[in-house]
Amino acid sequence: MPPFRDEHILIIAPGSQTTLAQLGLPESFTPAANRFPTRMFLAPDGKTYEPYKVRSRKRESAATNGAGDVDMSGTANGEGKEQEDEEELIEYPEDDEDAIYPLKEGRIVDMPAFFAFLQHIHNTLSPTLHTPVMLIAQPAWTAKNHEDITQFIFEKFRTPALCIMDSALATSYAFGIAHATVVDVGFGKVDVTAITDFQISSRGTVPHSGGEAMTLRLQELLKSQGFTRDMAEQLKKSPICEVLSPGVPLPGTEVAEEVISNPAAAASTGATASGPSVKITEAPRIPALEVDVGEDEFGNGDDKAIEDDGVLDVASIVASGKTQEFLAKKEKEKAERSAARKATKEREAAEAAAARPQRLPNSKRPRAMFHYEQAATPNKRQKTPEPVTTIEESAPVAIGEAAPTEDVPAAAATAAEATGVDQQRTQKKDARRKIWEEENPDRVRRDIEIGLERFQAAGDGILDAIADTIYRTILSVDDISKRQDAWDALVICGCGSRVRGFKEALLTILNNRYLVSPSSATMFMSELPSNLATPSGTGSMTPNASFSSTPHPPPTASAVNPLLLAATTSQNPALNPSLQASYNGGTQTHSSHSQSPTSIKTVSPPSYFPEWKQYEEAVFLGSQVAAKTIFVVDQGISKGFLSRVEFNEEGPSAIHQVGLVY
Amino acid sequence: MASQTIASSMQPTDVYGGDEVSAIILDPGYSSVRAGFAGEDTPKSFVNSHYGVADGRSVFGDDAIHNPLAGLEIRNPMSKEGIVEDWDTATQLWEYAITSRLTSFKQSDPRTNGLNDDSKDIDIEMEGVDEGEKALEEHPLLMTETAWNTTKNRERSIEIAMESWGCPAFWLARNSVLAAFGAGKATALVVDVGASTTSVISIHDGLILKKSIQKSPLAGNWLSSQLRSLFSTTEPKVDLIPHYLISSKTPVDAGAPAQAVYRKYENNIPESFRALEEERVLTEFKESVVQVWTGPGRLGSANPAGTTNIDYVKAQPGRVFEFPDGANQMWGVDRMNVAEGMWDEKAALPVPGEPPVTKAQTIPEMVRASIGAVDMDLRAALLQNIVVTGGTSLVNGFTDRLHNELTAMYPGARIKIQAAGLTAERRFGSWIGGSILGSLGTFHQMWISRKEYEEFGANVVEKRCK
Repeated sequence: MPPFRDEHILIIAPGSQTTLAQLGLPESFTPAANRFPTRMFLAPDGKTYEPYKVRSRKRESAATNGAGDVDMSGTANGEGKEQEDEEELIEYPEDDEDAIYPLKEGRIVDMPAFFAFLQHIHNTLSPTLHTPVMLIAQPAWTAKNHEDITQFIFEKFRTPALCIMDSALATSYAFGIAHATVVDVGFGKVDVTAITDFQISSRGTVPHSGGEAMTLRLQELLKSQGFTRDMAEQLKKSPICEVLSPGVPLPGTEVAEEVISNPAAAASTGATASGPSVKITEAPRIPALEVDVGEDEFGNGDDKAIEDDGVLDVASIVASGKTQEFLAKKEKEKAERSAARKATKEREAAEAAAARPQRLPNSKRPRAMFHYEQAATPNKRQKTPEPVTTIEESAPVAIGEAAPTEDVPAAAATAAEATGVDQQRTQKKDARRKIWEEENPDRVRRDIEIGLERFQAAGDGILDAIADTIYRTILSVDDISKRQDAWDALVICGCGSRVRGFKEALLTILNNRYLVSPSSATMFMSELPSNLATPSGTGSMTPNASFSSTPHPPPTASAVNPLLLAATTSQNPALNPSLQASYNGGTQTHSSHSQSPTSIKTVSPPSYFPEWKQYEEAVFLGSQVAAKTIFVVDQGISKGFLSRVEFNEEGPSAIHQVGLVY
Repeated sequence: MASQTIASSMQPTDVYGGDEVSAIILDPGYSSVRAGFAGEDTPKSFVNSHYGVADGRSVFGDDAIHNPLAGLEIRNPMSKEGIVEDWDTATQLWEYAITSRLTSFKQSDPRTNGLNDDSKDIDIEMEGVDEGEKALEEHPLLMTETAWNTTKNRERSIEIAMESWGCPAFWLARNSVLAAFGAGKATALVVDVGASTTSVISIHDGLILKKSIQKSPLAGNWLSSQLRSLFSTTEPKVDLIPHYLISSKTPVDAGAPAQAVYRKYENNIPESFRALEEERVLTEFKESVVQVWTGPGRLGSANPAGTTNIDYVKAQPGRVFEFPDGANQMWGVDRMNVAEGMWDEKAALPVPGEPPVTKAQTIPEMVRASIGAVDMDLRAALLQNIVVTGGTSLVNGFTDRLHNELTAMYPGARIKIQAAGLTAERRFGSWIGGSILGSLGTFHQMWISRKEYEEFGANVVEKRCK
């Protein structure tokens, strides 16, 4: 068998909503070249499946056939012929009525449709006969699913080799780490997979969570404002929708419960992670960071910051500095009127500042403007297309640009004329908005003011359930000593995690609820392996009769400086288990502090893939890495894939003997 | 490439390969159900035996039962002795264990899913895709049972397999025998320390010696109850508050009262749900703190240095455990005390509402009774082949202690303990034995086929599966 080549490899990564696919591995791995909505439609004959909605319509001729022929030519035998009657069949690529979604919460609910869908992808990309297939499996697929798919792919695609790889494992390949906990926030569910030594150790799923649950939640909350699902979806993707970390009060409400982000917690995270090159999770401090972003931080002409913030509040500029400059100038010219003028001005400014909210981050503003865009021609049967790529590119940018125009208050008019800069900016905005409107003639915009609902997308216990599942999944890793490794390599991926603040909020919950801090009782004592019985010269190992009460509590008992600990224990590695672990590799004895997590960290993404900016779809990067490794580098030596010969000999169940699923 | 000759090469060439029948091994226990294909090294499906009931509907699996918002009542279809009590639910639970990870989910209505059409572009009939209504129509099923299972229960098992699931073949095997097989032995003394029951059973040539069956409740759940007793008697008293009630915790000094922000729930959370969640904390405690005094001697007995072992343990550093609410303290001799009752009935902590532990229930006495009930000639062979299995046997120091106890009990005899080093192998010992048995070519003639069942009725299982 000739070796496989990069450009022949076909990668398919199905998701409940969008399927990523690509033929060939580029020199530097890229995000998926093709994105297919994971849905099929029943063909008019009621038996086969079509990738697009097909409707029959009387008396229309050749033009429509032209539109559909890309797929018609590829798809197999039966379907093209039926269209020769006077009834014309037309494809509506954007119509999603009666769509069959073969995957639901990751599970395959409609196998025939899923097969037809795979066939559709295969036909669209039309690979060569020498194309090995790398299929990314959802964790929910059963063993039987794997066998059926194996049989289908070998018999229909005539592929020389197939590898079915678990999606969480693929994600860990993208990051190149042996231990990981992959939290995949998908469309209808959240999958949690703990991986140790490149093997899947345990799994958990949170049903009815994920991106769709957040959309539905928003829709439910905003029902009174007449929100449709599509509006909720757009709101979720807009920057004003945010998940607040627990303890951060909703804007407008009084601070009911204080954030428990004490320095002790941070220090304790540091204490256990005192090795070099580890990054302390900053999640608990995030609320504090946002508070810092006060009004004074922004300079006068700091357009970018203002635009990022999504609002232009001229009143506060007046309040902060411009007034002074402005008045100084005036004073020179008209000294006699200055006193009176100044008084009024200041009063005005103060009033304006009181009336308008300060320039605050989104999380501090009780209300925000949401720009909903929809198709301008609702009478055309089609609804807004599922926002696959278009929305994601255009919407956030557009919203960011256009937002300031809305909020220019009447009171700011004076300031605007004084500076002139603002006026220019307003014009620029208008111009840009016009351009946008010209570019998207069929879209209209509506501005809707949204209140606190926009912070509650992940309410209703979704985050709690995810956190509990992460905890449970890691705790069911058999090898107790590996659990901490899994905690130290958290990967939160999946497009549902794009919602602003989601990752931070999840990390805050995990830190608040599950982090085990070094106990004051164990600080210098119980970390000792029990085989060190004789007291050492430092006296720190002298057995202490009363364990539960600390006889000499250090000043900050639970927050011993990690550097101090490292310094005092560096001579004797046995005293410091984290040092010991790094010296001994994985052969840490099952001694004392086996409770986990003593630290929770996320993995920073690899920086050597210039094409990859966002790592929500890291699964596809990992699948390319794995495909390269398995098909090109390894060539089947370590049984990474199932070859056609093996399939012929052993049948579909042979898929369980190879590959990277379990 | 010989890729085009599908028809002939698809035929299984080797009857004894075993894998082709793709038998499913189902190993239900009190705390979990293990299910997977024969020939594999770990069960693909591992499901909590506890299930939740809310509004008359049952939910299964760890992914569903830990949600505090659902107001679930937690139940278990197994009795305290590890045999099935609630057959209807047990059937559903097992079916969930099998269908969620092994076989396909049920297909949609066959009239509409397009499977029954002679599709022109699917030229090769996709066998197996068109799943009927029954879960296991193409998989023989090997089920495990405890040594003390009742005849009625055994007949019920085959009925479910044959009638409800449509299995083509069935076999019922004792889990202790399978655990011995899993350790590669046909003759062994199996010490199985599970969740609800500890049993000691002598096995000779793959058959249970009925008189040697010893069982006692001193297993994982009992250990949990010991922990609860301990927590309620320590000073200061330890409040066992599960994670779902905690919003956030603050580090506190050892022994200091917890400072946590608690979560409140509007709906009424049943007591059984709380018990389940508390059990998770206790499991973590057992994993990371509890230890068996390894010997020599008992924890309370004197050692050559003139003091007692307790004094020695007290001089050792303890272990710290942090509870979900942040309270933490050092556990010294107590972490060994809780497990000591398994070996020494006098050391057991009293559990309210439960009868005190008797001497006959301790593990050394059970071994003595089991060995004593078998033929003299067999005893030496059994003592050389002691198989330790079950999740609770993973408590630190368990096998060392067992070895020390037995050496003291049978001086001069050669004692060899076989305990798998890998956690998974110990927890899934009987499942792994079933996986080995089910994939043996010679086992294929043993299966009770559907035809036999139809001919002889459910009673065939009594005749065939000894």
